[in-house]
Amino acid sequence: MTTISIDRASRWFGNVVAVNDVSMTIAPGVTGLLGPNGAGKSTLIHMMSGFLPPSSGSVVLDGVPIWKNQQAYRQIGLVPEREAMYDFLTGWEFVLANAELHGLSDPGEAAKRALATVEMEYAQDRQVSTYSKGMKQRVKMASALVHDPAVLLLDEPFNGMDPRQRMHLMELLRRFGAEGRTVLFSSHILEEVEQLARHIEVVVAGRHAASGDFRKIRRLMTDRPHRYTVRSSDDRALAAALIADGSTAGIELDYKERALQIQAIDFYRFTELVPRVAKEAGIRLLTVSPADESLESVFSYLVAAK
Amino acid sequence: MNVTVARLTMRGLLGRRRGLLLLALPLLLIVLSVVIRVVAGQDENTAAGILGGLGLGTMVPLVGLIAGTGAIGPEIDDGSIIYLLAKPQPRWKIIVSKLVVAIGCSVVFAALPTYIAGLILFGTFENLTLGYTIAALIAGIAYSALFLLFGVISRHAVVWGLMYALLWETIVGTYVPGAQTLSVHQWALSVGQKIADPGVISSSVHLPTAIPLLLVATVGGAWLAAARLSRLTLAGEE
Amino acid sequence: MSDTLSGNAGNGRADVIHDIGYRHYEGPRLGAGYATRSLYTASLRGAFGLGRSGKSKILPMAMAVIMIVPAVIMVAVSVYLKSGKLPIEYVHYLTIMQFVIAVFTAAQAPVLLSRDLRFMTVPLYFSRPLRSSDYVRAKFAAMVTAVFILTLLPMLIMWIGSMLGSMPFGYNIQHFSYSVVAAAFYALVYAGIGLAVASLTPRRGFGVAAIIAIFMVSEGVAGVIFQVIRHQGHDAAAHWVAMLNPGLLIDSTVGWLFGVTPDHGPVGVPSTLGGFVFLAEIALIVVGTFALLVRRYRKI
Repeated sequence: MTTISIDRASRWFGNVVAVNDVSMTIAPGVTGLLGPNGAGKSTLIHMMSGFLPPSSGSVVLDGVPIWKNQQAYRQIGLVPEREAMYDFLTGWEFVLANAELHGLSDPGEAAKRALATVEMEYAQDRQVSTYSKGMKQRVKMASALVHDPAVLLLDEPFNGMDPRQRMHLMELLRRFGAEGRTVLFSSHILEEVEQLARHIEVVVAGRHAASGDFRKIRRLMTDRPHRYTVRSSDDRALAAALIADGSTAGIELDYKERALQIQAIDFYRFTELVPRVAKEAGIRLLTVSPADESLESVFSYLVAAK
Repeated sequence: MNVTVARLTMRGLLGRRRGLLLLALPLLLIVLSVVIRVVAGQDENTAAGILGGLGLGTMVPLVGLIAGTGAIGPEIDDGSIIYLLAKPQPRWKIIVSKLVVAIGCSVVFAALPTYIAGLILFGTFENLTLGYTIAALIAGIAYSALFLLFGVISRHAVVWGLMYALLWETIVGTYVPGAQTLSVHQWALSVGQKIADPGVISSSVHLPTAIPLLLVATVGGAWLAAARLSRLTLAGEE
Repeated sequence: MSDTLSGNAGNGRADVIHDIGYRHYEGPRLGAGYATRSLYTASLRGAFGLGRSGKSKILPMAMAVIMIVPAVIMVAVSVYLKSGKLPIEYVHYLTIMQFVIAVFTAAQAPVLLSRDLRFMTVPLYFSRPLRSSDYVRAKFAAMVTAVFILTLLPMLIMWIGSMLGSMPFGYNIQHFSYSVVAAAFYALVYAGIGLAVASLTPRRGFGVAAIIAIFMVSEGVAGVIFQVIRHQGHDAAAHWVAMLNPGLLIDSTVGWLFGVTPDHGPVGVPSTLGGFVFLAEIALIVVGTFALLVRRYRKI
């Protein structure tokens, strides 16, 4: 059980504050680090991987600071964002070199396993410079896995991957998370984080904006109404009955969609209210669906709110 | 010393273009020596001029510069050094491994050719050839360490190294004699002076001064480089 | 999430769909000439580190300072002592400063070319009206101008100083004009060699080392061969070694053209024929390096 703890960490470059008083805990399982470009995700990952010291605060792995701590790399596997690798090596030689550098007792075996995990054996004898972007990413992953680390840090790992590679990588990361490893990946693409991470950390403009299950985060923001789309056998009557209750803030009859667009400010009461009211009025409910449960709306609320 | 790091460094260093230049320099020296020997016969002044001026004064620092900065500069520049650093390897081991490769290049592409050129030009008389060869060897070691340090510290390491080797050691040294005390070239010459027969090689620095300074430059340079490497930051997309 | 209003709400508001997407540029399009001139200006500024970070200014400005300061001191001293003439011949000042010019060229030629090669932005240039020959022309002109500025400034200072010190006008203007020619030679030859070598590698550091290696090693070799030939007794013929080193070549040619050859040292021409050959070689180097560059960039 390896945990990364970030405690009130800040990092500034001259006048630019890249990370502003961020505290978070990365526990075993898959965590998504989400934020727009320039939000400080890469800076955070660099701090977690020991390549940038925090200007203030601390970044520790199981209680030990990661900065200037070479032994920490026994447990950490890093997949950096930049593409630069030792281009003149073949895929096999590259992963093997990484295995040797970790001081593994059987580097060849470890390299073979790692390459098999990322399904890059077919190209392992070609030079890295001939690889496509997605292939390079996979070899980078192999180099990060070769020592069976407890922590995996991935900086924008899905960049440049085609859908099939992305699915494969997601499956891989899910498996690692299930095995009890601590996996952290960063992304600014909502669908990726949504599909893969149960737990997300949202970083906006250097500040820690939100943390937790994204659905729960959404629920926490009760100052912004939830939107629902409801279709029934008698929309108008249902609307009248619903607006009478204090849990709804606004109802719109959407003629185009032939539905009610409802803004609910008290989620729990509303979910209990709708079936009750419908039953009492004898109205048949045909569709009740949330219109903004996706991460996208969470994200845009957070970004807009700043 | 780590074999993998050394192997990676060597393969990166002796790539096509750099390897060509590293090979061309000593080849030029040897060819020139052959031609001069054939045309002008054996002459002490000429031999000293070639081995001391062209060899020790120009080629050795150039090879040291190319090998020393090339052993680590490109990796830091494009960020691929992260694969060496994200490992439980002590930083001094990484530096030493790279230094060994750089020194090896200096031996093969500078010291050895100096020996061959010297033999061609002057044989083994008066230990002139041996003196200059040892000087080239020592200078190569010191230059490699210094320029490796420059490579860790600065992105413009080659330019700084150039400024040192050329401007400081030659021009400033000519006009400001005191500057010669801080010159790898002179330190190496003083060692060569000891090895060759008296009067053959001369240096403006005494041996008891030169040796500790050489040690400081080499060991101190490597130690500083390791310290800087352990504090290397990769702050984003640069 | 931008909205596209559609349908009508029956309340008199006009139904509009706002197109806030891609906008075409309808203004004037300046041609390839403008692009070339802009590239020239930007490259020239870059050669002195202007418009870039502070660190990239250090070397070129340091070289410029080293070039100028001794001239200033020399002029100040001469004027103060009312000596009536400057202690060094104009062109000889440049000879002494050859190293500085070489270091400047070695350091800055890669600055002009390596970045585009490294990040492979060269094809981006060529997807515009700019042709590959325009690119080469702009970069070549920029580097030549930069070195010319570097070499001309101290000459200007010396000349202005001579006027301030009431030194003989005719003599000074004449020798100043010699130095302008020398400065032009330095600019064309050094820039040409520097750029040709820099275009071969996307790695800046290596480009710097390669260029300075060529200047330094050629000088060393030329010096050695000069001594050897002189030793054999062929004093005049020894000057042919100037063909091996650009600095020596320029010095010898300028000395021959204007009669300002120093009495001893490798500078000098073996014969009148040699002078013409040297001139031809200078022309060949300039034209040749330019042609090489054009060929190289045509293939990118």
